[in-house]
Amino acid sequence: MTESRTRILTEIALTIALAAVLNALKLWRMPQGGTISLVMLPLFVLAVRRGPIVGLVAGALYGVVDFLIDPYPPVHWAQYLLDYPVAYLMCGLAGIAAPAWRNAVERGRQARAVWTSVVPAIALGATARWGVHWLSGVVFFGAYAPEGQPVWLYSLVYNSYVPLSAILCATAALAVLPVLSRVVPVAGSRQG
Amino acid sequence: MKVPTTFGQYVPIESPVHSLDAKVKLGLVAAFTVALFMVDGFPGLGALGAATVAAVAISRVPWRIAVRGVKTVLVILLFTLIVHALRFDAATVALVRIGPVSIDSGGLRTGLFFVTRIVLLVVGTSLLTLTTTPVQLTDAIERLLRPLERFGFPAGDVAMMLTIALRFIPTTAAEAEKIVVAQTARGARFREGGLLARARAYVPVLVPLFVNLFRRAEDLATAMEARCYRGGVGRTRLHPAVMGAGDWAVLCCASVGLIALGVLL
Repeated sequence: MTESRTRILTEIALTIALAAVLNALKLWRMPQGGTISLVMLPLFVLAVRRGPIVGLVAGALYGVVDFLIDPYPPVHWAQYLLDYPVAYLMCGLAGIAAPAWRNAVERGRQARAVWTSVVPAIALGATARWGVHWLSGVVFFGAYAPEGQPVWLYSLVYNSYVPLSAILCATAALAVLPVLSRVVPVAGSRQG
Repeated sequence: MKVPTTFGQYVPIESPVHSLDAKVKLGLVAAFTVALFMVDGFPGLGALGAATVAAVAISRVPWRIAVRGVKTVLVILLFTLIVHALRFDAATVALVRIGPVSIDSGGLRTGLFFVTRIVLLVVGTSLLTLTTTPVQLTDAIERLLRPLERFGFPAGDVAMMLTIALRFIPTTAAEAEKIVVAQTARGARFREGGLLARARAYVPVLVPLFVNLFRRAEDLATAMEARCYRGGVGRTRLHPAVMGAGDWAVLCCASVGLIALGVLL
């Protein structure tokens, strides 16, 4: 194991810890599970700094930890997989912005890159997570749809806490990422 | 804004269930879940319910805490019962009829069956997290994933990441609390304005939290490597969780008993 691999391992672990703390600061909790919170922010930040593979691993492991410390009793094992590890794994897709972000940091153009790369990448990760929760809702919670409302629409609306949370996360990421790139650069040397 | 300082559901008391190996408890929860979905009548549910009551009693977990999970699925339980019991068909031989709506005895029985099954599932599976620390669970998951190392799956690294994460949740929460108090003293308002305004108010808290997170990750990696950490493969433990004869006996007898209940009732 190389030096950087150990550091990535600890970054993933501490990112999961921070995500668990931010998840506890719930702004809104849905009746059948799901919260508006900043839980995705650490996963997005790590993914943008370290790339999609690290982001996907952190997301999937956070899903496991979230179930261990704050479980919403699952109705089926497949629903557990979808709503926990698979859903959070999708946040790691924000890592596709990593090369562009690294390039922008090297050139000192972070202000532009957050809008052209980071925000679209966060939107992609959040949309993918929304899609997984939507699928879980259609398959396992479709019976709760009000009479006359299509199940797909019910699940889409119910899980709209994901895009709302993503907007909050993107707002916070705009402030957090540029500071991190100066104070704790990915290369590892401290400048602040 | 108050940062929670307690995470997880573990109830720290001494009991025979608490002292069982976490792998045994994972195995029993799996057997219990399989049995629960195999039984197709109330006698089977009654037997599994008795087993659940016995397990909670032996665990010495207060009943108030053991059934707490049921509260979170109350909406699902009510809906399940209503959807099975209510009929809008005038031709139905009803138990009770109020206008066009009636309650059918067959539907009510089916609804009660599903509701009981969900309640037993919630209480039974909650007992695992109520009597096992997250770190013990992580160790058990690592042990169960270890055969996958042959195919290149980094079970040791995964267990290490989960252990560090669980260990640092209280530390991170305490740090967040400290920063929140400091920013509140400087005039920050976390409960005023809309969602976006609140998210912006968090920024002075989030920036130092993230900076400290990545600095701590660097320090931790350096400390681990200074102690010759070279990945999870072949890593030994100071206190290895070894399954004793009692653990094996409980696992075999209880699993066989649960599956037999599922098959016979």
